[in-house]
Amino acid sequence: MHQLVKILCGLFVLLTLPCSLHAEALTDTGRVKELLNQVDDLWRGESSYAVTSMQVKTEHYTRTMRMEGWSKGKEKTLFKIIEPLREKGTATLKSGNHIYTYLPKTDRTIKLTTGMMMGAWMGSHLTNDDLVKEARLEEDYDASISFEGEREGQNIIEFTLIPKLDAAVVWGKLTLIILADSHIPLIEYYFDEDFILARTISFSEIKSLGGRERPTVLRVVPADKADEYTEFVYEQLELNIDVSDRLFSLSSLKKR
Amino acid sequence: MNVTKLAARNVYRNSHRSLVTVAAMAFACAMMIVFSSLMDGVIAGSERNVVAMNTGDIQIHRHTYRDDPDIYKMIESSKQLSENSRQAGFFAAERLFAFGLMASDDSSSGVQLRGIDLVSESTVTEIHQHILQGDWLKKDDTHGVVIGKKLARLLDVSLDDEVIFVGQTADGYMANDSFQVRGILKSIATDIDSASVFMSNTMLRELISLPEQGAHQIVIMRSDRKQDLAEATRVVSALIKQDLEVMNWQQLMPVISRFLETAQVQTLIMLLFTYIAVASVVLNAMLMSVFERIHEFGIMKAIGVSPWQIIRLVYAETFIQTLVASIVGLILGISLSWYLQQYGLDMTSLADGMTFAGIALDPVWYAEMSLSSALIPIGFLFVMAAVAVIYPAVKVALMRPLEAIHHQ
Repeated sequence: MHQLVKILCGLFVLLTLPCSLHAEALTDTGRVKELLNQVDDLWRGESSYAVTSMQVKTEHYTRTMRMEGWSKGKEKTLFKIIEPLREKGTATLKSGNHIYTYLPKTDRTIKLTTGMMMGAWMGSHLTNDDLVKEARLEEDYDASISFEGEREGQNIIEFTLIPKLDAAVVWGKLTLIILADSHIPLIEYYFDEDFILARTISFSEIKSLGGRERPTVLRVVPADKADEYTEFVYEQLELNIDVSDRLFSLSSLKKR
Repeated sequence: MNVTKLAARNVYRNSHRSLVTVAAMAFACAMMIVFSSLMDGVIAGSERNVVAMNTGDIQIHRHTYRDDPDIYKMIESSKQLSENSRQAGFFAAERLFAFGLMASDDSSSGVQLRGIDLVSESTVTEIHQHILQGDWLKKDDTHGVVIGKKLARLLDVSLDDEVIFVGQTADGYMANDSFQVRGILKSIATDIDSASVFMSNTMLRELISLPEQGAHQIVIMRSDRKQDLAEATRVVSALIKQDLEVMNWQQLMPVISRFLETAQVQTLIMLLFTYIAVASVVLNAMLMSVFERIHEFGIMKAIGVSPWQIIRLVYAETFIQTLVASIVGLILGISLSWYLQQYGLDMTSLADGMTFAGIALDPVWYAEMSLSSALIPIGFLFVMAAVAVIYPAVKVALMRPLEAIHHQ
């Protein structure tokens, strides 16, 4: 979840931490901690507004939709679909551990039950559970640097993350690769409980967005279906804006 | 010496004792008839719940569909295949399935949508008659659904309430529509009761954007119930000529099939215990009636009655009593079974919502009479009586006359 959640839920926000590279001065564990926090913080801010397009390609269909989203803190997120017209107005509110979906066609708001959490979110390769779970890498995982140096012409740092015993995490292991200079994430591998690759999230198209350089394209590829993917492209991002708490209420779900 | 006449007189003379013996045997016989017809009825009822409510005799799927029910795994030529099956003398119906979330005002639950061909479904299953409340689906009702009993409770909805479905269409969009609950089904099987929503297959095709043709499942029913199931499965497989999975209900649900088979054995074992109890009653009565009259038998032997004749006499008495008992028992047993066949035995307080391997057992138990459920207890009664009386008969026959006369 991690990166993904941060991106979707924490919506693209950040306390623009200038990458203070005091790394050498720190102990190894201290350094790992700091790097992971930087990765986490890349996607987190006090509040945010973003416009994203999502493309889903599966064996049976390819579809694109655009949505706008607001977030406040780490608990509150709201998305509304802008395109296609057929689904315009469909909104998802994440508040704490609950997800509500507003359906304009039937003018109803539905709260998702626990049974639906592993279901696909909006036909994508993400589950509803991915949206609910909010985790900090450093809090939920025991991390270590498993590789550092040049690989395929890039200076990278590779982390191996094993979930802590009490962490509510469905994965068995994560591997995260970041650029050594900018600490921008490149790719993240998710392994299941049997340590078999379950999905890959890659980050690309590093552009200036929301005041700093960051990857603007995020692609989720399920390991068992290599031809399929869900891709998010960030079109617009505003950080630390003024958002009212009222925006994240059930009544505002219905407003267009 | 006329053994039959003497035996009849003996029985008549000891009317009190004979009455008790006959009554005990008749009662036991009646109970056995009722018990075995009730068990037959329960077994047949469970089988009906399995086959006639849902599974049908034979089902056709794409090969991996049952393990992974993916909406894209459709039998494209389902219409043609059902038509072919009908021409070969079977009943056939196409079904479509989809999954999603059903929500009412207060709660929501994951559901399986079951798209049904309203015309042909009634030829293969009796589900349209298995309604607890409301009505079955109607052709011109484009928003009516029928839902399982537990799902209705889960969503807290009753007739004509509105429910919302949210899911995903085959082309990746959001499937969403509202429906009215037109009917609530009686108990069928755990998964159907708690998660199924029945609608017409045209409604489901539209909701999920499925192609005009094709189905996920074809259900086949034999038109001749006496045709062997395995044989019918072979006929259907030969008819298909495609790489599809053809399985009959016994293959689809081996646990239940085995359970129903063993239930018959269980019934027999339980009957056997009842019979043994009956046999001890008969034995007791016979022992009493013989040993009470040792003095009398001694005199008979003294005047020249042979041991063989005595054995015949005792047997004849037993036979007369058993005959009377079986006639009374038969009348009693059949009338009781008939009553239970008509009105059933309401076990709701004891066995409501009881299921076995996911198959609901009807809380009202109906008996099902057959020739064997009446004749086997009677045959057994005769055998038991004959065995029970061996010991007293032989003992008396072999006694010395003098000893017998002086016996107190």
